[in-house]
Amino acid sequence: MNRPASRFRWPAALLVLVLAATSARAFVDDALSFAYEAANPYAERGWIIREDAWGGDLGQGDKKAVTAQLFRGNSYMFFLATDINGAALRVNIYDAEGNLAESKSWQRGRFAYAEIKPRSTGTYYAIVEIISSPEERTGWALVYGFQRK
Amino acid sequence: MISCTRAALGTCSTTGFLCFILPGSQVKFPATVILSLLFVLLLCLSTALGEKPDQTIDLGQFPAETVDSVVIPVPSEIFTVLDKLGNPNWRGELGPEENYPASPNRAQVALLLGTVIADGFVAVEAEDSERVKKIGRNVLTLAEAINVRKSVVARSNSIIEKADAREWNAVRREFDGALQDVNQAMLELNDAQLAQLVSLGGWLRGTEVLTSIVKDKYSRDRAELLYQPMLVDYFNRQLDQMTPRLRRQQLVGEIRKSLGRIGPLIKKSQPSEISEETVTEINALATQMVELIRAKAG
Repeated sequence: MNRPASRFRWPAALLVLVLAATSARAFVDDALSFAYEAANPYAERGWIIREDAWGGDLGQGDKKAVTAQLFRGNSYMFFLATDINGAALRVNIYDAEGNLAESKSWQRGRFAYAEIKPRSTGTYYAIVEIISSPEERTGWALVYGFQRK
Repeated sequence: MISCTRAALGTCSTTGFLCFILPGSQVKFPATVILSLLFVLLLCLSTALGEKPDQTIDLGQFPAETVDSVVIPVPSEIFTVLDKLGNPNWRGELGPEENYPASPNRAQVALLLGTVIADGFVAVEAEDSERVKKIGRNVLTLAEAINVRKSVVARSNSIIEKADAREWNAVRREFDGALQDVNQAMLELNDAQLAQLVSLGGWLRGTEVLTSIVKDKYSRDRAELLYQPMLVDYFNRQLDQMTPRLRRQQLVGEIRKSLGRIGPLIKKSQPSEISEETVTEINALATQMVELIRAKAG
């Protein structure tokens, strides 16, 4: 009796997985568009915005650490964004010892920003956080740029 | 109606509600409005104070919460600093001016593509538009050899167009974009490992140029740019996780061996203590690897 159901179990599970992966990817892509849009005025002011970026999805109150290799002598900016209306995010930059290293940061609704002029070359951590969100999972994207001046 | 020179509390003549009256003014504000404003102000203040980031965090709590993907810095992030620290001879760092023939070995083409894109960044620093255009065309040829030509056609054309216009920041962005487009196309073709080889090729060529410039005129500030332990670990990990078929390839095997020697050289020092000898040693290893990549492709 269970046979017909079990016959469809694997394809159904696979379909669910594919749909979940596709939708996760889609909302990260949407978040990425928002992050680039927010960073665009900085590009016009001489910042070079990288084409590579980080992204993912998090629940409310969750944090993630993103590792970045930064070089002393440059200034860096990080733009965090989501496409979820009503969500609030935060990004802060710490050095390899866990000390707050940013020179400036702000948080405005679904956008957050942090700027750093590294005191030494090495690994830094951008801590990404979903402060609040109307959704269970919130897609986020983090882009960064550096300044030649 | 109450009128006075000090803020006063009175009763509104029209509504009968309790009101605040501003000094020397006939304007009255209902007490509820003022109290609400005060409440909102206090709320904002407490939120702002609460949102102040921690001065220190325990990074140990994040190992499982760290995003796996690593964004590899583009060579121009380092070249920019070198420019500020002196006046490097970028023209002297340009790679050989040659067209690379298509090779059936996709791993080798991927590595070569990475080195050619890194050469593009060097040519931009040298502001050599002819070389940039040639590199733009080479990128297209190599991309074709690994079936990702379509993904970089627009970039290649844009590189040529912007090099003609000498819009150097735009060219830098296009080379960065070409790298991402190639990576993305390879991921779509389930060739993630080849995409990693493109990144590795670019990093090796960038490191060769960086060490060459630092070696020419050593200073601690310049040498500090080599302090990239996270990237060396990342590339070592990627090579270790490659399929046995890829790892068995002589070129990949040799690069794995040399990269294994670069890691301890970088990690043994503090950022500000990378010695001239270490720079020379890393330069020899990076040069050897880039020569191997080019030779095997020739």
